[in-house]
Amino acid sequence: MNLHSLAVLADPNVQLLFLRGTLTTLELFFASAIAAYALGALLVVIRMSGWLPSAAVGAFVEYHRNVPSIVQIFVWYFGVPQILPQSWHTYANAHLSAFFFAVVALSLNAAAYISEDLRSGIRAVPTGQMEAARALGMSYLKAMRWVVVSQAVRGAAPALVNQALGLLKTTSLALAIGVKELMYVARQLDGETYATFPSYLTPTLIYLACTLTLMAIGSRVQQSTRFTR
Amino acid sequence: MKRVALVILGLSFSCSTAWSDQLADIKSRGVLTCGVFGDLVPLGYQDPKTRSIVGLDVDVCAAIAEDLGVKLDLKTVSVDARIPSLETGRIDLMTASLAYTPVRAKQIDFSSAYMNVPVSVLVKKDSGIKSFADLAGKKVSANRGSTSEVFARQKLTNSEVVSFDNGPASYLALAQDKVQGMAMVKSAAVGFHNRSSGQTAFLDEALFWEHDCVGVKKGEPALLAAVNTSLDKLESSGRLQTIWDRWYGQSNEYQLPREKKVTPASEFE
Repeated sequence: MNLHSLAVLADPNVQLLFLRGTLTTLELFFASAIAAYALGALLVVIRMSGWLPSAAVGAFVEYHRNVPSIVQIFVWYFGVPQILPQSWHTYANAHLSAFFFAVVALSLNAAAYISEDLRSGIRAVPTGQMEAARALGMSYLKAMRWVVVSQAVRGAAPALVNQALGLLKTTSLALAIGVKELMYVARQLDGETYATFPSYLTPTLIYLACTLTLMAIGSRVQQSTRFTR
Repeated sequence: MKRVALVILGLSFSCSTAWSDQLADIKSRGVLTCGVFGDLVPLGYQDPKTRSIVGLDVDVCAAIAEDLGVKLDLKTVSVDARIPSLETGRIDLMTASLAYTPVRAKQIDFSSAYMNVPVSVLVKKDSGIKSFADLAGKKVSANRGSTSEVFARQKLTNSEVVSFDNGPASYLALAQDKVQGMAMVKSAAVGFHNRSSGQTAFLDEALFWEHDCVGVKKGEPALLAAVNTSLDKLESSGRLQTIWDRWYGQSNEYQLPREKKVTPASEFE
């Protein structure tokens, strides 16, 4: 191992580079996470309410689960603008950034997984719970809100935290379309200095700090919502 | 516990001060391990017919191995794995489009340059961009980890440089107007220019000269000197010119003249 290469990290410009990369990664993560959890919940509602044929939501979920995430990002950035009319394409180039397309691809991808986790949480609640709530005179929505969903979210919580961790790491794929996030700056530094070890050590530690924070928040939330019998 | 600590201490000392001469090792093994790209036409790539790795970088390292009188063992590497594989000794010589910059030279040693090519900027013909100044406020794509990326960032300070994973992606960004220019060594950009059916043009100014060298682990002066001697011999025997002509000469699509011969590191340092 080449320890003297760590000296590149002492350069304030390098530190600024990593700071900017970290901020972009966090922006990517929060924007995609908010969109993904909202869309994931919406997908479950659509699927369970029967407004749309369940196969439509199913197809959406299967596409995002079975096609590599990097391909999905490429499709949004390079593919979709090409099938649009030229004037839209020009508009997209002028006004929509790589960051925007990355958020679209990442949030759709994560939403598919999140909707499946929520659905499995809901299915884990025994049907007797719903029947009992209705028998007590609650409306369908009230029973859903107060009896089924509150238990379902609790059951799905570990899986939902998992998705947040996965999403944080998947944001690194946005480097493929030129979003200057953490791994982008790491590889930029590596290409510039050939100091490979510190270039990758730094993002490793930053990702680790972020995921550990997320896990801590997740377990705090789970503890505070634990029910006492 | 104390003994374990002592052993670890001893091991770390023996690692840091290990006195071995890589050149002598190579000669006693009888094998020279060369790191090349496996996906970069025409420097190092898999020939679809023979399935073997071929290219200019491959030929150069093979010629060095021949000159040293040892057998050649090719290993393909990725951009990110180049420096660690050299530092850990998995690979003796790196001939994988490794270009010199003063900052990079702090991590590894560079031989004389066996390939010197200008880094140029390709633009779309109808964009009206004629000079570097016209690129102000615009985006320029470059390959991740390449010196084109480094030079573009240094020289085109008023443009935003966006790097992509490889040549096709950098070019696709230009073709789709996501960026307005593409910085790339001319030897590689010519391929894209030729396939653009006349829609692209090179800017007259060159960003810089890229000097592709053989990478050697730091602290191996004997090996570095042997490589430099080999390169000089291959130049004077005309072998390097033959290799260049095979990959970039009149017989193929690039038709690039070889503008500079082997250049000692002292000239571009």
